[in-house]
Amino acid sequence: MKLTRITGLAAGSMALVLVASACSSSATTAPSAAAGAPASAAAPASAAASGAVGAASAYVPPTDAGAAKGKTIAIISKGEQHAFWQAVKKGALDEAAKLGVTATYQGPADETKVNDQLNMLQTAISNNPAAVCFAALDSKAAGDLLNQAQSKNIPVIGFDSGVDSTIPVTTVATDNIAAAGLEADKLAAMIGDSGKVAIVIHDQTSQTGITRRDGFVNEMKAKHPNIQIVSIQYGAGDHQKSADLAKGIMTANPDLKGFFGGNEGSIDGVLDALKETGNTGKIVAVGYDSGQQQLDAINSGAESGAITQNPIGIGAKCVDAAIDAVNGKTLPKTIDTGFYWFDKTNINDPQIQAVLYK
Amino acid sequence: MQTATASTSRIRTLASGEYVQRLLALGALIILLVFFSIIAPHFASLENYRNILTATASNGLLATGVTFVIITGGIDLSIGTGTAFASVALGIVAVNLGLPLWLGLIAGLVAGGVVGLINGALIAKLKLPPFIATLGMMYVTIGMAQVLSDVHPIYFTDPQPAFNGFFMGNPVAGIPNTVWVMFGGAIVAWILLNKTVFGRYTFALGSNEEAARLSGVNVDRWKALVYVVCGVFVGLAGIVLSARSSSAQPSQGQGYELDAIAAAVIGGTSLAGGEGSIVGTMIGAFLISTLRTGLSVDNVPQQWQYVITGLVVIGAVWLDIQRRRSRA
Amino acid sequence: MSELLVEMTGISKSFPGVHALEDARFELLPGEVHALVGENGAGKSTLMKVLAGIYKRDAGSIRIKGREEEVPSPHAAQSLGISMIHQELNLMYHLTVAQNIFIGREPRRGLLLDEGALNAKAQQLFDDLHLKLDPRARVGSLAVAQQQMVEIAKALSFDSAVLVMDEPTAALTDTEIDELFRIIRQLRDQGKGIVHISHRLEELKQISDRITVMRDGRYVATVSTAEAEIQQIISMMVGRTVFEATPELPEERDPTVVLEVKGLNRGRQVRDISFQLHRGEILGIAGLVGAGRTEVMRAIFAADRPESGTVLVKGQPVSIRTPQDAVGHGIAYLSEDRKRYGLALSMDVEVNTVLASLRRFASRLGWVRAGATRAQALKLVDQLAIKTPGIGQRVKNLSGGNQQKVVIAKWLTADTDILIFDEPTRGIDVGAKSEIYRLLNDLAKQGKSIIMISSELPEILRMSHRILVMCEGRITGELSAAEATQERIMTLATQRQSVAAASPETSTAMSVGAH
Repeated sequence: MKLTRITGLAAGSMALVLVASACSSSATTAPSAAAGAPASAAAPASAAASGAVGAASAYVPPTDAGAAKGKTIAIISKGEQHAFWQAVKKGALDEAAKLGVTATYQGPADETKVNDQLNMLQTAISNNPAAVCFAALDSKAAGDLLNQAQSKNIPVIGFDSGVDSTIPVTTVATDNIAAAGLEADKLAAMIGDSGKVAIVIHDQTSQTGITRRDGFVNEMKAKHPNIQIVSIQYGAGDHQKSADLAKGIMTANPDLKGFFGGNEGSIDGVLDALKETGNTGKIVAVGYDSGQQQLDAINSGAESGAITQNPIGIGAKCVDAAIDAVNGKTLPKTIDTGFYWFDKTNINDPQIQAVLYK
Repeated sequence: MQTATASTSRIRTLASGEYVQRLLALGALIILLVFFSIIAPHFASLENYRNILTATASNGLLATGVTFVIITGGIDLSIGTGTAFASVALGIVAVNLGLPLWLGLIAGLVAGGVVGLINGALIAKLKLPPFIATLGMMYVTIGMAQVLSDVHPIYFTDPQPAFNGFFMGNPVAGIPNTVWVMFGGAIVAWILLNKTVFGRYTFALGSNEEAARLSGVNVDRWKALVYVVCGVFVGLAGIVLSARSSSAQPSQGQGYELDAIAAAVIGGTSLAGGEGSIVGTMIGAFLISTLRTGLSVDNVPQQWQYVITGLVVIGAVWLDIQRRRSRA
Repeated sequence: MSELLVEMTGISKSFPGVHALEDARFELLPGEVHALVGENGAGKSTLMKVLAGIYKRDAGSIRIKGREEEVPSPHAAQSLGISMIHQELNLMYHLTVAQNIFIGREPRRGLLLDEGALNAKAQQLFDDLHLKLDPRARVGSLAVAQQQMVEIAKALSFDSAVLVMDEPTAALTDTEIDELFRIIRQLRDQGKGIVHISHRLEELKQISDRITVMRDGRYVATVSTAEAEIQQIISMMVGRTVFEATPELPEERDPTVVLEVKGLNRGRQVRDISFQLHRGEILGIAGLVGAGRTEVMRAIFAADRPESGTVLVKGQPVSIRTPQDAVGHGIAYLSEDRKRYGLALSMDVEVNTVLASLRRFASRLGWVRAGATRAQALKLVDQLAIKTPGIGQRVKNLSGGNQQKVVIAKWLTADTDILIFDEPTRGIDVGAKSEIYRLLNDLAKQGKSIIMISSELPEILRMSHRILVMCEGRITGELSAAEATQERIMTLATQRQSVAAASPETSTAMSVGAH
């Protein structure tokens, strides 16, 4: 009598796994159409052999705080864990100090903690700041709070992944779609424009996760039809998880030629996995952001290149845009803070060095 | 009539649930291995098995440590974030202070042990419920890890290059040393649990704490010690995690406690206390890693991976309750 | 050389809401068996727990072998040479017999435990005491009587000068009791002092040298057993004379069958059980410990699912798959371990009273009507004369007898009319016992039907209108009140299957009930 229960349970779970596997092969997370962040400024020119690409938009930051002087700008970011966010924080706080405004900077423990972030946003709004800067982990979930801010006449500035809503007066961000597209082109070039590649990225709910993935995937589909993306796995930016996922992908695809790591934690995990399987140098890895491990890897050749954003610029421009908004200036829809492709050849250029962080 | 009942009760003891649960878990593991080998063509390879072992190293250590706690009828939710604290301690000593690596390793173990000691004091002396006490410490440890590291990862690559090389080096059968560390830890834990007074009292506390107290056992002291032992394993897990990524990540480990507890429960450790085994826990840890790896090799979408893992854990706990009920 | 082993004077102890001991005293000579008696709540267990280091006294002094001592913990008591066997079992059910007995004193080899030596030591102990226990058996798998023997063996293993036993014979059969008494006499002759707390006065007459009586937390008197009369002791315990009620039998037996069981089976302990219960009847179920009486009732109540058999309530076959179904059909089961299975100990009298019938006291949406539950609890406390400071009193603070009354209150509130009592007066003092008997008779007169499992033959003989006797899972015989005697019951209780087949005379004594 008990045995039938056990076999029933086993059969049930196997069926579930089979169904899940079927689901996976039929539709590997259908990438949505490019999210509504219109590319501004220069198109990612694949013609550019190397060096800075994706110039910042023609936005002139304020030199005086004006009506915002002495007031508080609340910044809610997606997290504090990676050095990237610390760099954003530094950029923001430095700019605030320079212009004589107070900036507060908060972020949840990790990028899956959507509710924690919403709580922080709620608290921030309740304290009636002069403006709010917000990088949504989940745009739609924040809808109500944004309405609240709007009804209190608190301008909202989106940054990094921004907010998928009409409420923010501007979004200060990297053009992730263009950046990831560039990355795809670079990777394709490095593996002879054909073969299998895989993506390890942090999540599929935040704008950065979605746009980077889609930017990469769409570019590959459009310009590099001989390249097959065999797997897209989500490791929440956790090193260990990302490493184990990458190993699983390599096991399933022994002829894999390239990896795209969609954020710092993801690419760090991929690099660990390559090292552990002895595939460093055999499989091409390209990453995102910087951080000590990636910088070392690029210098040693383990990683072939990465896109760095301008985190300090993002933080600073956030504060600038907030000040402008308080002073009633009209702002462009997006403020592109620029991205750069860097590899061994240009890593020591002062321009690149300025936006890298350890 | 009495001798007859004496020996039948011995047979009943042997056929009792614990061994059955362990066999069930082992059986499930084997079924999973076979299953994934069939549906995912590259699963059945030496390299993949090595991957599974490597992936289990940290969870295996955490699960082993928490097994002791669960046997006493308690729980420790701080084991996940505790690894961050231990890693940071190791990083500060071996990198920031520039001291030799072995000192750093000791610092990591001591950091874990200290957290365990605090847990033990809160639970045994101040009589806080384990859930609450360790939940609080979960936040404290991750907070302290970030405070001490200034929310910045500490890298070992330059100052302590041997760190990663040693632990991830694989001189024996191509299996990284972290795995042997896990097995070594499991063996030590097994000896502790089954062959020492400490282990005996761990079971006694979980079986009937009041009876133990009335029998003259210093319940407070031994209970606190259980949490310290768990903490040392947390320290070891932190070391292993840092070795792999050659860095101390101040926000690592969040959510790791759930996998560890799941592994212990799947392996037959009862949340009600009084029962558990290291062998079972190890089987449980491998089962979870195999499941995860298999699902990712089979390219199952992330969402479904969560669902399936959750169902397996529920199934395991349900089976555990069923067999205990039928034995009563 | 009769220096006192133990001398306790002026002992006072209070718990929240109750003065357990007031200026109590007790003394113990070496080489004596000293009985300690009193009603429930008299303070006997409490006084001994103070001696054994489990409670700390508020006032008074304790002298061991003439020296003033503090006894701050059980461990300290052990080192002073005092061991106690408790009324409730204090065993670690996941550990083995040997592991339980020697917890804290395990033999070691270096740093590691020496399991072989442990088991050998236990076996040696059992051989010395002529006990048949398996050192390697898991305590959780043993029967209650055997678990009790483990407790006894454990206390004896300390070779203490003073041995306190709190209701040691409660779960034992007569054979085991004889064994125990033999051991007690052996220890006494060795010069040890033994304190024997018990309600079974006839037993105490057999085994004790002196008897001390306590009442309401105070010392009453100490008498020599040889000179004392049971009636006299009872008077001292109760403070009044207690009438020995004669068994009451209804003039006419109501022939309506309220409960019928046919062919009930469950494993080896419930084998082909069939019987009938009539309205207003008290049906006694007798048998040795292990005969399967509790198991039969638990199977009827679906606390354990039976494998086969039919149950008919008021003539209709019913499907009872869970205790909830049973209660729905008006069947109540009061288990022998009331603390574990009958009460929510940390909750109060009021909650426990309505626990089985909450739906009746709640509105459709689930809101509990506090006024109604209060009224019900007060009514029953009055009706059953439950001694409690109030209905808000936590049940765990009540004495055993009053706890039992709360359980009865619960089932009366649940409007059940088939009541199965499993050892209803276990651990209850004489005064409360006769109250329970009166209650049972009243219930029967009101038309409720009662099944009463009891291991006390005098109790069964006194209360039952009819008696079924079980042995090893089967019903071996049925006796009417008129024809029942202790001998006849004993014969049937020891009558195993093969014997029954062989002797036709005893077979005819078995009535229809056995089919």
